[in-house]
Amino acid sequence: MRTYKTLILLFLSAALFTACNDALDLEQQGRESVGQLQTLDDFEGRWAKLYAGLIVGGQDGGDGNADIQGIDGGFSNYGRLYWKLQELTTDEAIIAWNDGTIKDLHWQVWTPENEFIAAMFARIGYQITLCNAVIRDFSEPTISGAELSSSDADRVRGFVTDARFLRAYSYYHGLDLYGSFPFTTEDTAADGSELPAFISKQDLFNFIESELMAIMGDLPSGQSVEYGRVSQGAAQMLLAKLYLNSEVYTGTDRYADALTQINAVIGQGYEIADVPYSNLFLADNDSNGAQEEFIWTLNYDGENTQTFGGTTFLSHAPVGGTMDPTNYGLDAGWGGVRTTPEFVELFDGEENSADSRENFYTDGQNKSIADVGRFQDGFAIVKFQNITSTGLPGFNPTFVDVDMPVFRLADAYLMYAEAVLRGGGGSRATAVGYINELRERAYGGATFANISDSDLTLDLILDERARELHWEGHRRQDLIRFNQFSTNGIWEWKGNVQSGITTPAFRNLFPIPLTELNLNSNLVQNPGY
Amino acid sequence: MNNKIKTVILLFLLPLFAFAQSVVTGVVTDKDNLPVLGATVLVKGTQNATSTDFDGKYTLSNVPEDAVIVISYIGYATQEISVNGQSTINVTLADDASELDTIVLIGYGSTTKENVTAAQTTVDEEEFNKGAIVSPGQLLAGKAAGVQVTAATGSPGEGPRIRVRAGSTLSASQDPLYVVDGIPLDAANANLNSINPADIADITILKDASATAIYGNRGSNGVILITTKKGKMSSDLKISFSTQLAINENTDEIDVLSGDQFRALINEFGTPDEIALLGNFNTDWQEEIYTTGIQGIHNLVIEKGYERTAFRTSLNYTNQNGTLEGTGYERATVNANIIQKLLNNDLKLTLNVQGAAEKRRFTDGGAIGSAISFDPTQPVFDPNGPNGYFEYLQNNGNVDELAPRNPVGLINSLTSENDNNQIRATLIADYKVPGIDGLKFVGTAGIDYNEFDEFSRRDPNSGVGLTTGALRSNGEGYRVNQLLRGRLDYNTEFENISTVMDVTVGSAFQNFQRESVFRGQDDNGIDIGDQIGFNNNRLISFFGRASFDINDLFVLSGSINREGTSRFSPEQRWGTFWGANGAIKLTNLDFVQNSGFLSQLKLRGGYGVTGQQEIGQDFLFVQGRVVPSNGQAQVQIGNQFFNTLRPSLALDLKWEETYQWNAGIDFGFFDDRLTVSVDGYTRDTEDLFQNAPLPVGSLGNFALQNVGATRSRGIEVGAGLDLFRGDNFNWNIGGNVTFQEIEITDLTLGDNDQPTPVNPVGGAGFNNFIGEWAVGADPTAFVVYRQVYDASGNPLDGVFVDRNGDNVINSDDRYRYKKGNPDAYFGFTSNLNYKNFDMSFTFRGQVGGYNYNNVRAGRENIDSITENASPFLNNPTSGILQDRFQSAPLPLLFSSHYIESSDFVRLDNLSLGYRFNTDKVGIRASVTGTNLFVITDYSGLDPEIAGGIDGAIYPRSRGIILGLNFDF
Repeated sequence: MRTYKTLILLFLSAALFTACNDALDLEQQGRESVGQLQTLDDFEGRWAKLYAGLIVGGQDGGDGNADIQGIDGGFSNYGRLYWKLQELTTDEAIIAWNDGTIKDLHWQVWTPENEFIAAMFARIGYQITLCNAVIRDFSEPTISGAELSSSDADRVRGFVTDARFLRAYSYYHGLDLYGSFPFTTEDTAADGSELPAFISKQDLFNFIESELMAIMGDLPSGQSVEYGRVSQGAAQMLLAKLYLNSEVYTGTDRYADALTQINAVIGQGYEIADVPYSNLFLADNDSNGAQEEFIWTLNYDGENTQTFGGTTFLSHAPVGGTMDPTNYGLDAGWGGVRTTPEFVELFDGEENSADSRENFYTDGQNKSIADVGRFQDGFAIVKFQNITSTGLPGFNPTFVDVDMPVFRLADAYLMYAEAVLRGGGGSRATAVGYINELRERAYGGATFANISDSDLTLDLILDERARELHWEGHRRQDLIRFNQFSTNGIWEWKGNVQSGITTPAFRNLFPIPLTELNLNSNLVQNPGY
Repeated sequence: MNNKIKTVILLFLLPLFAFAQSVVTGVVTDKDNLPVLGATVLVKGTQNATSTDFDGKYTLSNVPEDAVIVISYIGYATQEISVNGQSTINVTLADDASELDTIVLIGYGSTTKENVTAAQTTVDEEEFNKGAIVSPGQLLAGKAAGVQVTAATGSPGEGPRIRVRAGSTLSASQDPLYVVDGIPLDAANANLNSINPADIADITILKDASATAIYGNRGSNGVILITTKKGKMSSDLKISFSTQLAINENTDEIDVLSGDQFRALINEFGTPDEIALLGNFNTDWQEEIYTTGIQGIHNLVIEKGYERTAFRTSLNYTNQNGTLEGTGYERATVNANIIQKLLNNDLKLTLNVQGAAEKRRFTDGGAIGSAISFDPTQPVFDPNGPNGYFEYLQNNGNVDELAPRNPVGLINSLTSENDNNQIRATLIADYKVPGIDGLKFVGTAGIDYNEFDEFSRRDPNSGVGLTTGALRSNGEGYRVNQLLRGRLDYNTEFENISTVMDVTVGSAFQNFQRESVFRGQDDNGIDIGDQIGFNNNRLISFFGRASFDINDLFVLSGSINREGTSRFSPEQRWGTFWGANGAIKLTNLDFVQNSGFLSQLKLRGGYGVTGQQEIGQDFLFVQGRVVPSNGQAQVQIGNQFFNTLRPSLALDLKWEETYQWNAGIDFGFFDDRLTVSVDGYTRDTEDLFQNAPLPVGSLGNFALQNVGATRSRGIEVGAGLDLFRGDNFNWNIGGNVTFQEIEITDLTLGDNDQPTPVNPVGGAGFNNFIGEWAVGADPTAFVVYRQVYDASGNPLDGVFVDRNGDNVINSDDRYRYKKGNPDAYFGFTSNLNYKNFDMSFTFRGQVGGYNYNNVRAGRENIDSITENASPFLNNPTSGILQDRFQSAPLPLLFSSHYIESSDFVRLDNLSLGYRFNTDKVGIRASVTGTNLFVITDYSGLDPEIAGGIDGAIYPRSRGIILGLNFDF
């Protein structure tokens, strides 16, 4: 009897629940946790995420647990998207794949629905939001209230400076690709409840400039900084690029300011690495001498930093046809990216050039591209290789070890020459000297290909930049600055015809993605779309 | 424990008893005292029987003194009378209780069929589909209007997809709520396979919101109540054993080119390099990977009832080998229940325990696609290849990662198994509160617990093993679902207003917890990342219902549920859901009674508001969450690698709300020989859970939000017809048809409802979507380029309609065309028995839906055959011989040419049985065929594709099942 009574009581009590709200308050468990900012690890994790935002696609290796959606994780990587928009749209690169609207990039027929353009927009916006969150969350009261030694507290303050740099860097991408960008700061709510304003190109330009100026003094010098972290050199380089492209961005030229910043970069003590040009893009380019030239790199690692973007993409995507992947330290080629005959022709002697920066793979490949979808139409480029300077393969044949130089001294040298030619001041002789330093390395120390003062023209600069910096994510910006991207400049399959045709000038800017326009009534579509 | 031992002893001793025997005579009359001719009088549990004569008289000899005699006649209620030594027993038979008095389940309670006010259907054991059925859902296929059962693929252990009045949501779960013997299952773990189909007594589907509102936040997709078989009080010991042996064969293959056809095609179109890739073999890859599947199902049931105790125990063992080599399913279940009456029969305790041990064996599913595409001129085996299989190799001798893997090698290189052990226990206390007439307390405590364990191992020397990092993976975890619920039922009659009132109030608490860990390892046992999952959510609800039966004419009912979920923030977590419905039992009016042909007429109507919180994710509202990176997503700054922390977006979500109207009418004609039910509904869902884009400025560009709305409407007709009713011959047929329409009525927060691309398809890289969600369209609508055809109807290669006339074919020329959801689906069944012979069959089908044939779209052109990242060729589907498409521009992948009608009629099952009655045992032998034929114009393997995107499924096979049942 007792048992039954107990049972009935038990059930009766079930019928008479009261204090139930408490039972519904569950605490987060599992992998995610409620993030407190107490220890140095807490701060470092948030800060490191800002760099990771440029390097990997998500919180798991191989771009798993991706940060942004609407596109496959491996495709959503910041560096991979940025590269596609800056390179596939030009004579330097063409892709065979059928991933959504990817071919529209080279054809220059993209629409505001293009998912790669949309994903880049989302990536940039996400990166800026992450930076804003760090700047907001790492407030002085939080830092002083945390369990940090005074030197650790100073280190955390340095993280805020990094965040401001990285935010300016992404805004610069927004300015370059889309003309402007939805404007948020650390004071903007991060839950989408506050629709960001769309600010003018000039205002965005001014913001980036003032931020970089403001943090310059807080950044470490180019020589004292940890490898892969931003420094004064990086900030000066970013300012120099902003000024050099100022005429495109705002209509006002700032070449003299550009030259000032370039001189400051060069004054940071970087050196043109006295190693073969090819070393710059190998698995050990953090230690084979190439690093002397690097102002700022995005670091990849086959063991700990695994992504299908970045240099992994740049190593695998151009391998196919008769190429042997193991020669490049890879398990497989992806048979996608090649180059156009117009780019091949920039090299003296084309595929047989004495210029070591010519790195075409031609066996079984046709120079001309009859079929965009066929990998063996167009020469392949073997620039980024997962082998070391001593010929050993990288740690992991899928995910490569090659670090990606964002800024390197050779770029600064060529920018110097360009700024001189565009009337920014400086010395033509220095400019010629800088270019010859690069050409001597390219020709294995030989001087026969050196230029003289009479060769120093803007046309040469554009071509030399292609030879020196191809596939490093500069080409579209360069072509636009030299007015060769849309209404001028012809290469195979531009305009979706094999012989190539010019395209309207509005193609110099990408459209604001349609989804974003619909979500944010403050945004204004770029003309022509 | 004592009872159990007694039972077992009894079980063995019973046959040993000897009884005194005598002759019993008597007269059987009906309620008007007229003799009943031909009534059967039987000594219970024996074959000793006789019939009454013209005067209703009978004589039965050899009747044991303590025997029970059973008197039955069609149209009258069967009676059982204990002999107790009497020699004369006269019997007055009462009219058979009408079918209308059958008790049917409703949400948290039951009612009579006559008083059902909502749209609901009960399918009982007699009506279940026949065959070697492993998954309970398959019992229902084609049996109820408004319930769309998409048959499981051939993969052993897979369950069908069930949609009750489809279309209430976009991103949240569309599965109905399953309630097994009173326990609502965890939506994330509704593993119906843990229930042996042979243990199910009936399944009731609550379709409209007025019926499901009492299930509150889980009622929007319909509720399926599964009742298992129980022992009956005061019943004899019954032992039955059944065994089924099934032989399953695939019905067909996907039409691809044979080796000779392929060689001819490549010789015609290929370059010399491509022709050089051809081999000399004729391999039918599909034949290589498929085999005959053998399946055995065995059931043993023991049941007995005493005066105050009844029990039933069943054991099941199922073992199935799939038609795809290396796949299989094995299950052992035990289902035991005991009912005990106590406290002067005022308290009834029911204990149900269901246990299941399941094992699913998998192989590399990639073999299905690979067997379609793999070059048929290549051999299966190559002594120089990895593990002796033919594989494509790179120049350096390594396996070419870009080439497809040998399908047979794929299958044989992978060993993979999922084990699941499940136990589900419910204790129900049903207590008539003494002193208060009509007051009853019903308490339910339940637990549903399972542990799973899975692993896969790849042979490192196989073609795949040589190219992949993760060679082993394993995982384990548990899920638990605990329920505590109590309710008070009160029934009273107000005689002065001729009204019967039923009131129920109660509350429930349910806790769900799931934990799992998955690990991948390379061949050296080095971890390639752990995935740890933890989920916990809770639901609390307070519910009530009142119904009134007025004058035995009007039935009015209202229910309410106030429910809270831990998934949302404290501000949003509580919701109130309600439903109201009513019926007019016109059957009870004279004009129906006197009509001569109408035997039943009822009008029903209802309205309900239900919710949905089944988003699969917990803790979403917790602010300030961060996600750490794993070891492979660190960043290097200086010489140090840093783990990263990603701040998560926390959005304040709330319930998805569904509003539904329902109206229905039930007819019966000619003594219910023909019955017809018609229901119509219209339903709107608002604040849809949708993984919708967020503007820049948020911590993420997509998130689950309460955005958008859908509307769905439908008409459901069910009918049954008794063609023959008789002693020796009964034949009834039934059918149902459902017309449905689903439409998205709102998509985004703003005014601008830009379509959302959905349903990525394979064949040409990432980010290719064949469908979109758009306002005004069905969620399964396709978005295609319009194929252009010549005058004789042949498609023109690479020519598509330039819809906007800008001379460029680009994504602006795509348009919405057809949809995956059918306009109507139907089922038709027949049950016939003649003497000892019985026969039944079920047809099912659908019309108005379309499939996107991704098997053809990605393969059927010359470029897809030859244009590969490395030197190999792909086999196309055979449509290429007709269409002869050369190139594969992106529009071809999305061509309207590959949107094909999925209309079909399938003979789902046909069963023949014969019963032999011997003195000691009843034997029924049966032969059943399943999936016997499909009538369709669809060019793919099988038109029945959930969601309408055909990417080559595990083929459904045809089965021949031999069955034997023994009743002791």
